[in-house]
Amino acid sequence: MSVIMAAILAVPLAAGLTCLAVPRRAAAAVSVAAGLACFAGVLALIPVAAHRDLDYLSYLRIDAVSAVFMLATGFLYAAVAVYSVGYLRHQDQAYARRFYAGLNAFAWAMLAAPMMSSLALLWIAVEVTTVVSALLVAIEDTDGAAEAAWKYVLIASAGLGLGLLATVFAYFAGSQVLGEHYNLAIGPLIAAGTRLPATPVRLAFLLAVVGYGTKVGLFPVYTWLPDAHSEAPTPVSALLSGSLLAVSFYAILRFYQVAVAALGPGFPRDALLAFGTASLLLAALYLFGQRDIKRLLAYSSVEHMGILAIGVSFGAPVALAGVLLHVLAHAAAKGNAFMGAGVFTVKYRTKQLAGLRGGLGVLPWSGPLFGLAVFALSALPPSGIFRSEFQIVAGGLGSGSYAAAAVLVLLVTVAFLGLTASATGVLLGPASGRAPARGEPSAWMVVPVLAGAAALFLLGLHPPGELTGLIARGVAQLGGAS
Amino acid sequence: MTNAPGVYQGAANAIAAVMLLLEFGMLRQALARDQVRLYAAQSALISVLAVVIAADRGLPDLYVLAATSAALKVLAVPLLLRRLLRAGGAGDEPAGVAGSYTLSVASAVLAAIGLAAFGFFAFGSLHLHGPAAPPLALAIAGAMVFVAFGLMIVRRDVASQAIGFCTLENAISLAALVVAAGLPLILETAFLFDLLVAVVVFGMLIRAHHARTESLSTADLTRLRG
Amino acid sequence: MSAALPVQVIQVLQVLTIAVCAPWVTGVIAKVEARLQGRRGPRIAQPYYDLAKASRKEALAPEGASWFFLAAPVIACAAYLTVPLLIPVLTSYGLPLGYMGDILGGGFLLSLASFAVATAALETGSPYAQLGSSRAKTFSAITEPVVLFVVFTVALLTGTDLPYALAATVRSSAGQVVRPAHLLASAALFMVILHETGRIPVETHAGTNEFGMIEEARAFEHSGPYFALLTWGSELKQFILYTILADVFLAPWGLAASRQLGSVALAIVALLAKAAAVGCVVAVIDNSFAKLRLFKITEFAAAAFLLAVLGVFTLYLGGG
Repeated sequence: MSVIMAAILAVPLAAGLTCLAVPRRAAAAVSVAAGLACFAGVLALIPVAAHRDLDYLSYLRIDAVSAVFMLATGFLYAAVAVYSVGYLRHQDQAYARRFYAGLNAFAWAMLAAPMMSSLALLWIAVEVTTVVSALLVAIEDTDGAAEAAWKYVLIASAGLGLGLLATVFAYFAGSQVLGEHYNLAIGPLIAAGTRLPATPVRLAFLLAVVGYGTKVGLFPVYTWLPDAHSEAPTPVSALLSGSLLAVSFYAILRFYQVAVAALGPGFPRDALLAFGTASLLLAALYLFGQRDIKRLLAYSSVEHMGILAIGVSFGAPVALAGVLLHVLAHAAAKGNAFMGAGVFTVKYRTKQLAGLRGGLGVLPWSGPLFGLAVFALSALPPSGIFRSEFQIVAGGLGSGSYAAAAVLVLLVTVAFLGLTASATGVLLGPASGRAPARGEPSAWMVVPVLAGAAALFLLGLHPPGELTGLIARGVAQLGGAS
Repeated sequence: MTNAPGVYQGAANAIAAVMLLLEFGMLRQALARDQVRLYAAQSALISVLAVVIAADRGLPDLYVLAATSAALKVLAVPLLLRRLLRAGGAGDEPAGVAGSYTLSVASAVLAAIGLAAFGFFAFGSLHLHGPAAPPLALAIAGAMVFVAFGLMIVRRDVASQAIGFCTLENAISLAALVVAAGLPLILETAFLFDLLVAVVVFGMLIRAHHARTESLSTADLTRLRG
Repeated sequence: MSAALPVQVIQVLQVLTIAVCAPWVTGVIAKVEARLQGRRGPRIAQPYYDLAKASRKEALAPEGASWFFLAAPVIACAAYLTVPLLIPVLTSYGLPLGYMGDILGGGFLLSLASFAVATAALETGSPYAQLGSSRAKTFSAITEPVVLFVVFTVALLTGTDLPYALAATVRSSAGQVVRPAHLLASAALFMVILHETGRIPVETHAGTNEFGMIEEARAFEHSGPYFALLTWGSELKQFILYTILADVFLAPWGLAASRQLGSVALAIVALLAKAAAVGCVVAVIDNSFAKLRLFKITEFAAAAFLLAVLGVFTLYLGGG
């Protein structure tokens, strides 16, 4: 097991460095190989993580919660690596090299973050993801990309500054109990829960929600998100929306665990509920009237992150199980949606919704798959997202938060209207005279989407037993016994 | 009559107060080159404070940290920033930096005073303090955080915003010295190197921005809306 | 020399010292500034001769100016002569009339004088005088709060408003002098003094630059003995402010601790020395910096306000 853990850390980094030096086909092959290897490695870890925590070198620690997030990232890494082969067909060698190097480095940081055993290393990993993804957002040489990259790196770095402050206060709280050379390890901090002084923990949690929440896309610090996700190249957007938001939410979850252990469930849950509801409301409203397909999907990501926060705030075990499942299902569905949108933009050469029409006729595979992804994002049964949102709402009703659950359902419905109204126009709208010729641009861009759709429905219909076990263990660790 | 604090506490308070003043100075400066100098001075003060706390509490780790922090934040980062600002080629300042205020200087200072007051009392009312530094220092760190955000908001050019971020990191280092002086050295060093990496990335993006628009102003970064 | 003076005499002596030696301080500043520029400069006693010359000239008043125009210089001087009663000029202990008002009262009196002069200038209808008045009042909208905050610092440091108490606190230990709050308040007060006395970087004393005048312009329309009174009044204000800065904030040593004639005489000499020292600093600043453009004076005042506010903040949590 420790070999696999070390491999998951080493392989993407090595791949990234290699891609800087080799010709583009080799770089593509290396990336695909690295992606599939990491995904396989994470899959191998799951049965073990469902029963015990894995430690290695005292810096790495995988428990059930982190395994869930790693699974989401691993899957998207593999899918996106395959997708990029087709997406980058028309780019030159230098661009391809930089792209693959950045992609691998980005995936490396996102895989490393859930594995970190201390809050400080977690912060460093998330900061590395910011830095690498900012360069990836700016890789397209357009005005919009430059603007989006600058906004992203500035706002996200400022938010992570607050996250660092949260880490400092967490150290302060921990050092009062665990001694001065406390190294910000997460496990001992949670174990020492009730002995921690309340004020620093409360401050740390709030700063973490606002600071890391900047990277998650919570209201009111989400403003970089639509820009960055729409201006980045599509594979990067898929990773940003599907994985990076989740990894940042993982950081908030760790602080949530500490806060619940020290302060009891009331304050942390109220805070998450407030931020989550505000994000969901804002996203639901902004989904109407979008004109850019990737911006539309970006706001959908804000919506789903809000759902995650609300789910955690409900606190019931079934709600927490729904949250963990939602992370996986959202990764698959959002990845599919972005990849489909990417096919559309390549085919029609525009990102504007008004220019994308008649998709079902023009793209025999990607059209229906994109439609499937969009409906899945709106919680169509039997997709994984339907199952997870159902569990979240059930948990909310079960734990007595009737009003919040009702608001959740209402806003999700509003979001469904906004999202599908635009998306169905893309698929079913009458093709204008200058529609491109029928046919898929590349098979490389279809296969990962098929895999994603399969995963999505697997999660919805019959999640594998090991996965359910893993999620159950994660729920117990998140304190779902109340 | 309020008592005067002890020597170390007084020194820590004085250093923190001067750091806050330097931050206001950065708010007032029109030229990015001068802002970078003020940032170097502020980083030097942080190193001095680290030495003071190390002497007071007998933490040898902090001496090493002070030296590393000085090397990085007083020498390396300002050097990097200055080199980036000379990106225009012809020496001094690329266009678009002077006059990049959204408010006039006096209004900006007054607004920043308001922000500083909020941060000051918000953090100060928590009554948190480490064994070495008094609660005042943490309150000043809180004020500095808010003024750094103010600096990023009020100025409309990328150089000021980048320097605002570096100042934010200084403010957080001050808070860390106050409440987390015993943080293991390796973690503190990792934070410092992380800052360096972030500055490098900022620099690359600033270069790209400058190459594209021939100025450092963010006034035309309004294309993406809604 | 062990004759003990009655307190009333000492009190009168305070006022007399300020009144008589104010022009001397101005002369010292002018001389030092000239020397720094490589000139020989005017004699130190020149301001006395200027006052004497002005009082011999004819006094004119513009048409339409009311009695207030002629009364304002008198009001101003009266206010300026009252302030030395309230602040520690020569002694470290309170004098009988010294409890008439605290430092806030002193501030009010200074404002009263400034108000009287400004209103009189407004009355005249002359463009330059009105310009000076309106500018002075605009900028004082920011500098008056600074003075208030400095007073608050005094109050927070000592628990009272009395300048005597603050001087005693500062004298009590060296640690008190380097408290951040104390230094910040002193710096803010110094900047306000530069503003109130019309020195660089706010205004040039050497020469009349009409478009930059603030303090100087207010005396434009007065002439003869009234002009002498106004000039003397501004010199009084300068000396008083220097006294407050030196005797209350920065260097409250050398004040007479007893009523002995010897110690009082020493106190007078010490006061003059301290005021001259402050004047030298002002002269150096005069020669080192350029005058700020008019709209940048708000920045200057905002900076002073910042220092004063920070001084209060640092005291608030009981650590500064």
